[in-house]
Amino acid sequence: HSDMRAVGKWTWLTLKLHLLRHNVLSFVSSRTGSDFTRRQYDVIVVGGGHAGTEAAAAAARLGAETLLITQKIMTIGALSCNPSLGGVGKGQLVREVDALDGLCGRAGDAAGVHFSILNRSKGPAVWGPRAQLDRERYRQFIQSELLSTPRLTVLEGSVDELLVSQPNPEEPGHHRVTGIRLVDGSHPILSSSVVLTTGTFLSGSLFMGQTTSPGGRMGDAQSCAGLSYTLKETLGLRVGRLRTGTPPRIVKESVDLSLAQLQAPDKQPTPFSFLNTHTRCKPEEQLPCYLTHTTPGVERVVRESVHLNCHIQQDAKGPRYCPSIESRVLRFPGRRHQVWLEPEGLTSDLLYPQGLSMTMPPELQLRLLREIPALHRAEIRTPGYGVQYDFVCPTQLTPSLQVKSTQGLFLAGQINGTTGYEEAAAQGLWAGVNAGRTALSLPPMALSRTQSYIGVLIDDLVGRGVTEPYRMFTSRAEFRTYLRPDNADLRLTPRGFEEVGCVTLRRYKKAVSVRDGLQEALMALQSVALSSTRWREKLVCSLTLLYHVSFSLSGLDLLQYKDVSFEMLASAFPECLSQYFEYSQRLKIEAVYRPHCEKQSREMERIRSEESLSLPSDMDYLSLPVSLSQEVREILDRVRPNTVSLSKTTTNHISTVYAILVKCYKYLQIMCLIDKLGYFLCQ
Amino acid sequence: IFFVHRASPSARGLCIPTRAVCDAETIFALSSGHGRCGVAVVRVSGPASSMVLRNMAGLTQALPPPRTALLRRITDPKSKELLDRGLVLWFKGPHSFTGEDSAEFHIHGGPAVITAVLQALGSLEGVRPAEAGEFTRRAFHAGKLGLTEVEGLGDLIHAETEAQRRQALRQMDGELGRLYQDWSYRLKRCLAHVEAFIDFSEDELIEDGVLNQVDSSVRQLETEIERHLKDERRGERLRTGVQVVIAGATNAGKSSLLNTHRVPPSRGTTRRPLVEREGVRRARQRVEQADLTLVVVDSTQLPPDPQLVAAFLQQHLSTVLPSPEAGMTAASDKVLLVLNKSDLVPEEQRERTEGELRERPGLPPACFLSCSTSTGLEDFLTVLQSRVKTLCGDPLSGAPSLTQARHRAHLQQSVQALNQYHQYRDQDLALAAEGVRLALTHLGRITGRVGAEEILDIIFRDFCIGK
Repeated sequence: HSDMRAVGKWTWLTLKLHLLRHNVLSFVSSRTGSDFTRRQYDVIVVGGGHAGTEAAAAAARLGAETLLITQKIMTIGALSCNPSLGGVGKGQLVREVDALDGLCGRAGDAAGVHFSILNRSKGPAVWGPRAQLDRERYRQFIQSELLSTPRLTVLEGSVDELLVSQPNPEEPGHHRVTGIRLVDGSHPILSSSVVLTTGTFLSGSLFMGQTTSPGGRMGDAQSCAGLSYTLKETLGLRVGRLRTGTPPRIVKESVDLSLAQLQAPDKQPTPFSFLNTHTRCKPEEQLPCYLTHTTPGVERVVRESVHLNCHIQQDAKGPRYCPSIESRVLRFPGRRHQVWLEPEGLTSDLLYPQGLSMTMPPELQLRLLREIPALHRAEIRTPGYGVQYDFVCPTQLTPSLQVKSTQGLFLAGQINGTTGYEEAAAQGLWAGVNAGRTALSLPPMALSRTQSYIGVLIDDLVGRGVTEPYRMFTSRAEFRTYLRPDNADLRLTPRGFEEVGCVTLRRYKKAVSVRDGLQEALMALQSVALSSTRWREKLVCSLTLLYHVSFSLSGLDLLQYKDVSFEMLASAFPECLSQYFEYSQRLKIEAVYRPHCEKQSREMERIRSEESLSLPSDMDYLSLPVSLSQEVREILDRVRPNTVSLSKTTTNHISTVYAILVKCYKYLQIMCLIDKLGYFLCQ
Repeated sequence: IFFVHRASPSARGLCIPTRAVCDAETIFALSSGHGRCGVAVVRVSGPASSMVLRNMAGLTQALPPPRTALLRRITDPKSKELLDRGLVLWFKGPHSFTGEDSAEFHIHGGPAVITAVLQALGSLEGVRPAEAGEFTRRAFHAGKLGLTEVEGLGDLIHAETEAQRRQALRQMDGELGRLYQDWSYRLKRCLAHVEAFIDFSEDELIEDGVLNQVDSSVRQLETEIERHLKDERRGERLRTGVQVVIAGATNAGKSSLLNTHRVPPSRGTTRRPLVEREGVRRARQRVEQADLTLVVVDSTQLPPDPQLVAAFLQQHLSTVLPSPEAGMTAASDKVLLVLNKSDLVPEEQRERTEGELRERPGLPPACFLSCSTSTGLEDFLTVLQSRVKTLCGDPLSGAPSLTQARHRAHLQQSVQALNQYHQYRDQDLALAAEGVRLALTHLGRITGRVGAEEILDIIFRDFCIGK
């Protein structure tokens, strides 16, 4: 007990010091020092990266008493790799996390120093909101946000061991998690659920040139060996090994930016968060990025250094894409590759060379950089390096991100084989939601892949597993034209409040008012109908398309046309449309996509209905009294499908697999009825 | 949007589907076995079933009482052509196998009749061929299957799938299969390149030229599939017979060819009265509509120098056949040259001319023939028979009609979807890509499903994509 108090007090002090140093004065929390003496929480989150912070905040929002344990409080909310957030596909995830009241969207708005919407010319469904970030501002925002979250406690320490006990016989699973034990605390801290978000720290090792050292991130403590042991040995989870890397950081002053191409941000920054109308950084304060290219000299240095590069030599079974400059050059020789020089923050004196992740010895890294004209005098502040780490094969998880075999244990982020801040944040939020729900005795929930990128992400992970770090692309989403960045609030926020409980009232009200406003506006647009001739007169423009139309068109029909804007229609019908000016962009997008989304709705229904036919994770396929071949039984026993959904089955045997699963499902359905009958008979 | 992921059925109860959720579409399939049989059963299920029944069985008034057989004339709803006489049954949902409104057609089991009925069904709006096991799946979703039925379900679906798979394999082995696979491969690349442009062009070096290539590939594919759809009338030919037109100059021997020598009694082949010179325009029109044209030429009119024969015939064909824009060229496999009165030509000249013509790829096959002496008749008949066979498909090789109707439907939808690509190419690339995706989905129903991972494979192979 006293040990715990000691740990607590020490943390408390660090936190205060830390906060003072960063001038975060808005520290409002009902928490007192005695909170740290608690030894029982609803939810414990291990890790303070993008997954951990979202998980802890989500669980606390849900109403669970939550403890976040991290090796270093200082690094909570640190951007360990690139100083940017969002992009194509990833931006959609940020918008969805924000719609469910997560942190990263608002943090991005607070920390962004260069905002741009990627794919601006390619259709709003694939727009990619993106921002370069100020590392300091991002960290500060996340830390102050966590510290002001009610029911959330932050503790500095290393987790040594996961505590497990006999499972609850009412639920599937072989184990039940009961809490954790810290490396330096002999007393356990108990909880109903635990979320592990240990990133690359699971048996992590760092690579640079020919040297390797244990660890998950340069400059941080070593990996959590005890935790690794619990997962692999005690819980018997299957793990795989993945690799990633980070580029060297370059001293800005040493770069000749006049030899690079300037990339300006959007003139008017678009915030990530549905709650924000503008970003903290003013439009004119934004920083530019720079674009430059590799040269044949770069290729030469890579080739000459291969024998000194352990990380690359082991790259036999690497991912399909090219994670490092070495793999780019070796796989696509003789080409020019793009290098982005990105600012690290408003006050930082460093540049981040996106596209130059490398693991060769530091002196060769310098030689390589200097082969690029703009970097011919570049100085390296910290060299690039590679990381290899264990991940838990995510097919062992349920769609709620709980480990199938262990009640109350949730995993999120890189530990599940993903890469990227946004992917981590999305999983963290959803794992936090379900850890909270479990602790509060609510049934776990899953997100449908027909309704969100988060659903696609989780469904891909738990349904198909990973062979290379999983990254989100818009091409992974079947219903891309519906899963748009503009409508994430409509898709997720109301349900997030009404059904999940992870959305605050303020955001809910805002989303509902937007929803109603849009609905009204769409009805108003539909109510104005004219013949094409009349439209041409009214709009005073040459809409050639309209010459072929003989029937009357509503405002909504007209808005589908490329050259028609809401503003044009509103000026034609000011009395009924001008009040909806604030929605003009969203209305235009809605009008263009609505007909397509309606066409897809049937397919969506089908997938959703199949997703809802869930199979229990503890089904005994080996002795199920239905006619199945031994081979099929063994496959099912290994794969343990979550639902009868076919979306993951890519073979030609879909129907057969489906039939088998339906068979299993039907059997259970009937067993379930018999169970209920038995219950009544006993009464 | 969210669904409760129930961990244990015993603890929390399963969510049991109560209605046919996803099935606003109406589907049809041949439900009796494949191959020759006395009676074939074609089943229709879905909301449009009553419409189908009214249209196909000429029921203008009320529908028949449910589950009562009614003998009706079954007609093509578009052309009003009589297809067969057979029993029709009406099942009002939920009292049907699938729980939906359903109809059954009990028709004669010949391949021609089955093909005709299936094609007529496929031509109706909102009605499409069923996928493997789709009827049973709908039945399951409607809660229509008990445990015993479910026990048999696997086998049933397996059998259905297996039959379709074998049939598909049989087709896939052949030329048609290679054609579809080739389209699928090219479409996959198109999609991969559009997707690469959407997902990566902002960060990686992907040239704008990529999209231009996709534009032309898509256009090329569209043309090819459309042409294929136009040419593929084999099922219909089987039903209506092959239209053969005999064309040629006066006294070339058209009448002799028709009267003296019987066109082989090949199955489904009908004779067409010869076209007299009733005006070039009308003659050409008939040729245009014909499945096969026999162009009869008087051998004695051929230039004596064999080297000039090809050019002469070329010239002659261009006066007889409609313009190339109509899709009919001299090289088309819809034309045969009959060089009549061969007995009046010196044997040496005939042989040299034959040799000369054999090496001319621009000309249709030419047969020397004498209607009066029957010389060369045997060879001519062999060529003609093989032509007819190609045009009809071989009716003895199983029942390709079902798959064909399915293929046609998917190919048509594929072309429509590709059209969406062009429509949105410059306005909204996401919607344009959706067109290619959709086209691939439809083609995938024939050649095998294409998942997102397969597209990513191509992207990562063709482009250097970073972390």
